[in-house]
Amino acid sequence: MPAKYTRNFCIIAHVDHGKTTLSDRLLEHTNTVAMRVMTAQHLDSMDLEKERGITIKSHPVTMTYRAKDGHNYKLNLMDTPGHVDFSYEVSRSLAACEGAVLLIDAGQGVEAQTVANAHLAFGQKLKVIPVINKIDLPSANLELCTRQLEDILTIPAEEAILASGKSGIGITDILEAVVARVPPPRWTEYPQTRALVFDSLYDSYRGCIAYVRVFSGTIKAGETMVLMSTGQKAEVKEVGVFMPKMEKIASLGAGDVGYIVSSIKNTADVKTGDTITNGARPATEMLPGYKEVRPLVFCGLYPLESDDYEKLKAALGRLRLNDAAFVYASESSLALGFGFRCGFLGLLHMEIIQERIRREHDVEIISTYPSVIYQVIKQGGEEISVDNPVNMPDPGTILEIKEPTIRASIIIPNDSMGDILALIMEKRGTANHTDTLDATRVMLHCVLPLNEILVDFNDRLKSVTHGYGSMDYELGDYITSDLVKMDIMINGDPVDAFACIVHREKADGRGRQLCEKLAEIIPPQMFKVAIQAAIGGKIIARDNVKEMRKDVTAKCYGGDISRKRKLLDKQKEGKKKMKQIGKVSIPPDAFIKVLQNN
Amino acid sequence: MNGLAQAQAKASVAPVPLGLYVHVPFCASTCDFCAFYQMQPTADGVERFLAGIGTEAAMVDWTRPVTTVFWGGGTPGLLAPRDLARLADTVRARCGGAPREWTVELAPASVTAARLAALREAGVTRVSLGAQSFQPMLLDALGRQHSREQVHRAYERIRAAGFASVNIDLMFALPGQTAEEWAADVREAVALAPDHLSTYCLTFEEDTKLWVKLSQGRVKLDLEHEAQLYEATWAQLAAAGYAQYEVSNFARPGHVCAHNLNTWHMHEWVGLGPSAASQQAGVRGANIADLEKWLAHVGRGERVTEDRVRLTPAALAEDALIFGLRMNAGVDLATWRARAPEAPWPLVEDMLATLAGGALLVREDDWVRLTDRGRLIADTIGAEVMAAFEPITETA
Ligand SMILES: Nc1nc2c(ncn2[C@@H]2O[C@H](COP(=O)(O)OP(=O)(O)OP(=O)(O)O)[C@@H](O)[C@H]2O)c(=O)[nH]1
Ligand code: SF4
Ligand SMILES: [Mg+2]
Repeated sequence: MPAKYTRNFCIIAHVDHGKTTLSDRLLEHTNTVAMRVMTAQHLDSMDLEKERGITIKSHPVTMTYRAKDGHNYKLNLMDTPGHVDFSYEVSRSLAACEGAVLLIDAGQGVEAQTVANAHLAFGQKLKVIPVINKIDLPSANLELCTRQLEDILTIPAEEAILASGKSGIGITDILEAVVARVPPPRWTEYPQTRALVFDSLYDSYRGCIAYVRVFSGTIKAGETMVLMSTGQKAEVKEVGVFMPKMEKIASLGAGDVGYIVSSIKNTADVKTGDTITNGARPATEMLPGYKEVRPLVFCGLYPLESDDYEKLKAALGRLRLNDAAFVYASESSLALGFGFRCGFLGLLHMEIIQERIRREHDVEIISTYPSVIYQVIKQGGEEISVDNPVNMPDPGTILEIKEPTIRASIIIPNDSMGDILALIMEKRGTANHTDTLDATRVMLHCVLPLNEILVDFNDRLKSVTHGYGSMDYELGDYITSDLVKMDIMINGDPVDAFACIVHREKADGRGRQLCEKLAEIIPPQMFKVAIQAAIGGKIIARDNVKEMRKDVTAKCYGGDISRKRKLLDKQKEGKKKMKQIGKVSIPPDAFIKVLQNN
Repeated sequence: MNGLAQAQAKASVAPVPLGLYVHVPFCASTCDFCAFYQMQPTADGVERFLAGIGTEAAMVDWTRPVTTVFWGGGTPGLLAPRDLARLADTVRARCGGAPREWTVELAPASVTAARLAALREAGVTRVSLGAQSFQPMLLDALGRQHSREQVHRAYERIRAAGFASVNIDLMFALPGQTAEEWAADVREAVALAPDHLSTYCLTFEEDTKLWVKLSQGRVKLDLEHEAQLYEATWAQLAAAGYAQYEVSNFARPGHVCAHNLNTWHMHEWVGLGPSAASQQAGVRGANIADLEKWLAHVGRGERVTEDRVRLTPAALAEDALIFGLRMNAGVDLATWRARAPEAPWPLVEDMLATLAGGALLVREDDWVRLTDRGRLIADTIGAEVMAAFEPITETA
């Protein structure tokens, strides 16, 4: 099929606006997935995605569609995640496309990631097809949505398609619009082969599998390929497409989206954003790559059993291959032994990676309290970066500490303004200005310290706006703040893994909250356990873990010895799943739990 | 330390006592909390059961006379006087003389003068009466088929028959039961002046009706409430002259249950009947919990077919600690160090020191015992003991 009959597009939207559900309908309509094997949110193939009902990674799929003009078209679709933590996945997918279907939930209207993702698509000069989705909802407000399209996104309202992924409304309209409005693949005339690596995956049998969008030329098994950023050569072993399962084909051509299995085993060698070319006739200019994503949030991850260190290391290596935004380096802790400092894009990202380590790689881990990167200027002018509170120098040697901020755009209903301003104030932020979006909503631009939004900002935002508030953000400047290191002590001993950096004025409240929450999360212990928060040795808050009261089984006679032993054995194994710090058993996910509200 | 209990524990170290347990698997109906193996009796079932006991008893290697006998169930008291006598004959044939203590469990509804006479005649010394509660509502909630009056009548008959020792079983932390109602039950039992009292906190066993209710959220667990009931019971019974010698057991001087002590001290016992457990000659295990299958096993000359494990001295030391710490007298470490020098004693000592540091355990020379607070969490402590012994268990 010539490239002029190929269309590459992604579906973008705010979280939960129905991208994956709409993709289901497209897969069905094009008979890409047989009805008998179809599942809801089919492209969310990871267990975690299915369980949580959210998309974490972009998923590519190739469909064939017979358009009303009588031609068969090859449509390469990418379903993208909506959550702000994964916006880099969206930009990577956009780079492999010429068009984007932008969904707007008819019941919610334009939200923060609608705006952010639309701007990403405009920035990459993609054709944007606006779709007002979920029109089956009783709360659907089409008039509001079309007005917001024009006012906020400056997209002419008549371009909008009305659809419902759930009821299957508007599916043909969308497919026809993709054919008609999205331009055919660009840069196909370039004289040499060039393919963009937009993702990769580690397979234990086949090694590293690169996900590529071919812009020009062809790629087939037996050829020599070159990774242009490093010049590394490899043999192409297999190429194929996503149906959405990987299916081997003879060759990939210009405009195609597919995968390459090569002789490269090492996960670190294939970087997303790299350009692959042909070894015999190499290109000289790389395709535009990606802006490197930098992690914003850091925490220590340690194996629960120290024997699992190597296993954890291997797991991190593999996850990193699929996830350029995730970084790690080895570190050690007095309380937890040898482990890794890991960087993430946000808390959801952190939670997901931890969960994947546990599930997909079968390593039990414990994580420390998350931190951002602080810039510390010491007496004498030396400047250091601190991503682990334990490494915060002695207060006497510090001239000033700078913390990262974010520039946030928050979309809220007008009547929540007062509450949001109070929330921003509480979080040490400053509101800059507001844009009126329409009669009922405004977009508020503000600057907030990153460490303040880590904990519960999003939940609070949702609660004061009754679910209608949403936020997008990007990293802002570093600002000087009055920050201190807070130690958490268990029965009087500071536990390095629990240390955190807080603003001096908020230390008391934060300390109290942390102690209280820890006391609640740590299960009742055999002995009295005091949890204290301290700053520079001065106790600012304390709480006690509950003491076990009663667990003895009443009846126990001769016949029961084997049965009773089984019961105790279970109890013993349960305890092994916890981390022993001093004499206290701490659940490995204690810190994720501390951060989760209610 | 309770001098009496300590003396008993010490005395029992000498020639290893041998217990005999007979499981009579018949009940008139199934109580809501019950996880014991039992079924409705039929004439044919009872007949084949009695024959099976005879066959199984003949298979046991009786190296010495039994010291204690315990008939449990089920409801042994459901057997007709004639059948009781027959079972007793079988037992006596193996005892090598009169056992020191011979207990039979009776349910209040089936206590008759004729049955009691048969038991006395046979040489039974101790009767355990499963009253559970005196409150009609609670008895009903447990699915028990007897009334408060029946409990009183049964007790009078038992006393009249002149057994050396009488126990009353009570249960607490029943769904909906208040602390006052429980205290009233204890008072009513104490007023009868039994020699021994067992007070069992309700446990939710899998596959019982109560368990189903719990998992459906129709009843709730309240550990604090249970702990308070425990503490109140201990105080109330101590004041009434009943010394606690195990988590759930209390006796007047000279009336502790020797048969149960025997098992908790990790001595030896033979179990006959479906589901009965044995521990003898270095092997622990149980019979299959099914009358027909047990009969088939016995018919083929097989017994103790389930959960069979070979017991090393270290494994016995581990269990002696786990079960010994449930007793007020505690455990004599010196005895077990001598019997199982290969056990990981340094780890055990560390664990004991930690418990002592937390006021959960008291140590006097080589005797260790739990404090009241420790006894309330004896399961957790048992798991700690297991963990300390793990290096041995794993290589065994
Ligand atoms: N009423 C209605 N509900 C829908 C429709 N499409 C999706 N939903 C529901 O909206 C929720 C989110 O759907 P998804 O398809 O997972 O949304 P998504 O945009 O892929 O979500 P993320 O990938 O996490 O950003 C689910 O509960 C769907 O059942 C629709 O057309 N109508
Ligand atoms: S009488 Fe005893 S053995 Fe029988 S069902 Fe009730 S509790 Fe279970
Ligand atoms: Mg999705």
